[in-house]
Amino acid sequence: MNQKSEFSVEGLRDYNRSGPVRWIISHCLEHKLYLFVGLFGFALTYIAFSGARVMFGRGAEIIINGGDAQAVIAVSLAVLILSVSDGLFSLLGSMVMVILSTRVERDSRHELYASLLGKSQTFHDQQRVGDIMARATDDVRQLNFVIHPGIMFIFDMILGFAVPMIYIAAINLELLLAPVIFVICYVFVVRRYMRRLEPVMMQQRMQYGTLSARLEETISGIEIVKVAAQEIEERKKFKRNAWKFRDFFVQQGKIEAAYLPLLMFGIAYGFFFLHCLNMYSRGILSIGDIIAVAGLMQVISFPVFISLFSISMIQLGIAGARRILELIEQRADIDENLEGHGAAVEGAIEFDHVTFKFHGSTVLENVSFTVEPGQTVAIVGQTGSGKSTLTQLVSRTYDVDEGRVLIDGVDVRDWNLDRLRSQMGKIEQDIFLFSRSIADNIAFGVQKATPKEIENAAREAQAHDFIMSFNDGYESEIGERGVTLSGGQRQRLALARAFLRQPRILILDDSTSAIDSATEDEIQKAMRRAQEGRTTILITHRLSQIRWADRIIVLENGRAIANGSHEELLLSSEHYRRIFARYSAVESPIGQLAAGGGA
Amino acid sequence: MGFIMDGLDAEEYDRIYSDWALVKRILGYFKSHLWKMLVVGGVVFLSSVMDLILPVVVSQALDQLQFSPEAFDPIGTSIILGIAASAGWVANMIRQWLSAEAVGDVTFDLREDAFNAVTERDMSFYDQYPTGKVVSRVLSDTQAFSETVRLSINLMSRLLLVVLLIIYLFTVNVNMTWVLMAIIPFIVYTALKFRTVARRTVTNSRRQLATVNAHIQESISGIGVAKAFRREQMIYDEFKTVNQESYEVEKINGFVFGSIFPILVTIAGVGVAAVVWFGINMAQQGVLSVGDWFLFIQGMGMIWFPLTSISSFWSQFQLGLAAGERVFALIDAEALVKQKADEPVDQLEGEIEFVNMDFHYNEGEQVLKEFSLRIRPGETLALVGHTGSGKSSIAKLISRFYEYQGGELLIDGTDIRYFNLSSYRSQLGVVTQTPFLFDGTVMDNIRYGKPEASDEEVIEVANQVGRGDWLVSLQEGLETQVGERGNNLSMGQRQLVAIARVLLQDPAIFILDEATASVDPLTETLIQEGLDTLLGDRTSIVIAHRLSTIQHADRIIVLELGEIIESGSHKSLMDAGGHYATLYDSYFRHQSLEYIERMAG
Repeated sequence: MNQKSEFSVEGLRDYNRSGPVRWIISHCLEHKLYLFVGLFGFALTYIAFSGARVMFGRGAEIIINGGDAQAVIAVSLAVLILSVSDGLFSLLGSMVMVILSTRVERDSRHELYASLLGKSQTFHDQQRVGDIMARATDDVRQLNFVIHPGIMFIFDMILGFAVPMIYIAAINLELLLAPVIFVICYVFVVRRYMRRLEPVMMQQRMQYGTLSARLEETISGIEIVKVAAQEIEERKKFKRNAWKFRDFFVQQGKIEAAYLPLLMFGIAYGFFFLHCLNMYSRGILSIGDIIAVAGLMQVISFPVFISLFSISMIQLGIAGARRILELIEQRADIDENLEGHGAAVEGAIEFDHVTFKFHGSTVLENVSFTVEPGQTVAIVGQTGSGKSTLTQLVSRTYDVDEGRVLIDGVDVRDWNLDRLRSQMGKIEQDIFLFSRSIADNIAFGVQKATPKEIENAAREAQAHDFIMSFNDGYESEIGERGVTLSGGQRQRLALARAFLRQPRILILDDSTSAIDSATEDEIQKAMRRAQEGRTTILITHRLSQIRWADRIIVLENGRAIANGSHEELLLSSEHYRRIFARYSAVESPIGQLAAGGGA
Repeated sequence: MGFIMDGLDAEEYDRIYSDWALVKRILGYFKSHLWKMLVVGGVVFLSSVMDLILPVVVSQALDQLQFSPEAFDPIGTSIILGIAASAGWVANMIRQWLSAEAVGDVTFDLREDAFNAVTERDMSFYDQYPTGKVVSRVLSDTQAFSETVRLSINLMSRLLLVVLLIIYLFTVNVNMTWVLMAIIPFIVYTALKFRTVARRTVTNSRRQLATVNAHIQESISGIGVAKAFRREQMIYDEFKTVNQESYEVEKINGFVFGSIFPILVTIAGVGVAAVVWFGINMAQQGVLSVGDWFLFIQGMGMIWFPLTSISSFWSQFQLGLAAGERVFALIDAEALVKQKADEPVDQLEGEIEFVNMDFHYNEGEQVLKEFSLRIRPGETLALVGHTGSGKSSIAKLISRFYEYQGGELLIDGTDIRYFNLSSYRSQLGVVTQTPFLFDGTVMDNIRYGKPEASDEEVIEVANQVGRGDWLVSLQEGLETQVGERGNNLSMGQRQLVAIARVLLQDPAIFILDEATASVDPLTETLIQEGLDTLLGDRTSIVIAHRLSTIQHADRIIVLELGEIIESGSHKSLMDAGGHYATLYDSYFRHQSLEYIERMAG
């Protein structure tokens, strides 16, 4: 039960996570009272409902054998009271189940959320946000339906069979013959029905997903479709997919059409009636009794009918619970190492024959280099060459498979994780800002920051001017209801956020592009300022930054194929030469023109 | 009971169809399933009769048992019961079976028509309406429509049963039938009232759920930042608050939905008690037999549920019709681009001429005014200018994505409006700013515009782009799966695929809207090399963002507010020191080597 966790919440209960059904039950048992009141309410419902059928029998006796006005009123009142309490008890049961189900929804969402916060970044790097979202929203919702009306249906099925049968038995045990045989056959047949229906429903859902994905794709790419004159081809594809969906839809309809239990019930009812008539002729049953048991037998038809929907709903919910549990149960593989090295970071980085594999494929192979404190190293390479992974090894988001990564001569695995990470700043390619004010976003990393400190950080990051151009300045909200920021602006806010923390090692994934020269000037200044006095690992597309880095490492398919200064690389690297050669060839006359015509 | 609440927002192309027109059109889709629908009607009637026979036979058996037991045949009665139940079940099965087929087919036909309409709409249509909404019309609206049809058939059978039952009961005892029917208004009123309340709580609950989801979305997306800065506690506290709020709202919503059924049961219960009381009294007066009395009690059980469904169904029915209306509106939306003829296009030379062109997207916002421009076959023309200067419009007009209002656009001297669009466009190659790839392999995507191309051709073309170096970085070369919209590939790689795609197509006219996003320097170099191959000797129109592209252009056109204000080569324009030199300083200067060296120095 003790999972490694980066964040723990007090007072969160432990639930049984050994399986989805047990997990749901353990959640329900947190609210035992509601569960039992609910069950009680439904039991009373069925007792009252079935009781009313018995009263019909009494009424029939009065009609046949005669009875005074008082007896008539007594029977009618009994029916009224039983029918109304039937409604009211089911209202009670239903309300209680609503509370139970919404609580379980709330609690499980809570549990999932807390567990997500506790998971390491390794975990989050591997999960797609969309996938987590689907589980935290749809699957949790589904759980609500499992209980209300799912469990209610289970109650219906158990009580809807049991209660009327007890009544029937009380009138005459022999009469149980037909209903018992029916229930046994029913259980058998329903299981077979579910097994047939399930795969078809799943295929249908999947086909709908495919259909929708393909349609969305075509519409998103409609310009290409049109310009490549592929309309006819796309129509054919859509038609194929839509037809497949139609087939599953019809197949499902046909399976549902042949829902055998309803037929079985009809036949069982015939036998049951015959049985009653036989017992009547033997003088064991009266007409009143027959009316009572015929009514009771009909009670049984309700759960039979309802099981058409209820079972699949419960199956869906359990599948959802399984997916949520999978997420909660995933473990982090990097520990916090609380006793580890915890000195102040100088900023020396060394990769010593590092090899790293991800899901079996080699991402980095035998990479070695050193960076002195305060130096800037630029990593150059195509997408997928291992640039980002290399920086993630420095912050120990992943552990190496072979070799070592050393910070100030100490293996990162021997560092206290918190001390290590807190002295590093990382600016990701996709900069994340919260839907809060700009000031809050800059001050996100520190407990208390004065407005003055925030402003200073923003000025250093060349962000002050554009922030002040917004109506609300530092109090402007970011996001849907607030200001929208360009990539360059987001990047400078992230830099300001980093400045406020003063990390010793800065990892910068800079793929922002400026479309105009003025913005480029601003970004360049901010980046330059950020690198002063700290070790910087830079993934960049800007040639000027590559050009001025102390050291450049060219990665290709996970191997460092070149390593050195700009001048060295121009001599040693084919790729590197190709990048700059192209520029030099066409640029040389332009440089002069720019000087003359431009500034 | 379906309560689909929120109607979708109306779009400009939506139109109101008269109910009659709507119904006629819907029936049109069912025309080819006429016999199926007739059979469905027949079996619906049959199953209703069978459902009615069951209680009637029981009640008559009870009476016979009481009054003439010697003439009573218990086995025969039970067999009749068994047969009626089986026949009803079989009828029901046939109904579901056939209606599943008919509804499945009609939905399919409707979807096909909707999709065909989708491929026929102009680009202006897609500028206006986001993908999600169009998708929802083609899939969700048709789905909602088919659900409604299925439900209608289902309810029709129930309604028929109620009607048959009441008619039969009238023949048994008129007064008792009135007693039974007295409960109907209460049930209908409650069901209708409930709809109003439910609509409100559902809206609230959806809104609240959206808030929780938005919170989770944001904190999961930003979890890296929250962790790096150790602010988990803060977002956790916020979550607890919204989660609790959602619980409160959800609970109320659950109460509303959970109460409707029990409340109706209670009302029906009162009705049953009334039937019991009146019935016994009448029986004692000798106007009602015990069997009939039991029949009326069962009758109550048989009518209240269908009535509830029907009263709540009306809104569902309206929504289904509205969904159908939305699909038809999509199918009927009018095209703005209108061709005057359908002339097939032979191999084009690539000469393009705008003659006094007037063009606007929206009335009153003129984009091009009396615009004239001649592009020579084989020329590479770079368009530069600020946003809104009309650069993209020129490219889109050549693609014939939009209708222009005045003047002429001549391709090889022929008015573009006389072409067969499909054959004309197959001679156009376009690379968009963010290239769009379709799910499949790199090879599939390169072949997209020329499906008949052989593997060898594709490989050859792929190797012409950037000397084929880009293929090395693809995990499985040309067989690499690009993923949805090409998500598995980097932006740079997608551009390379798009360039190869056009190269394979070998079009007479090439249109390039250069990307503004930066890619890594090596890929950038490969892209530039790929473009060199592509531009070659064909007519090319480039909306330029890259310094190296404008330097390679034969002619640069500087646009401002839809007018050409300067034109010439890079060198001549720089020497002139006019608008182009200013543009250069603000958009292209930072890409120059001189700038790189200065920043590095």
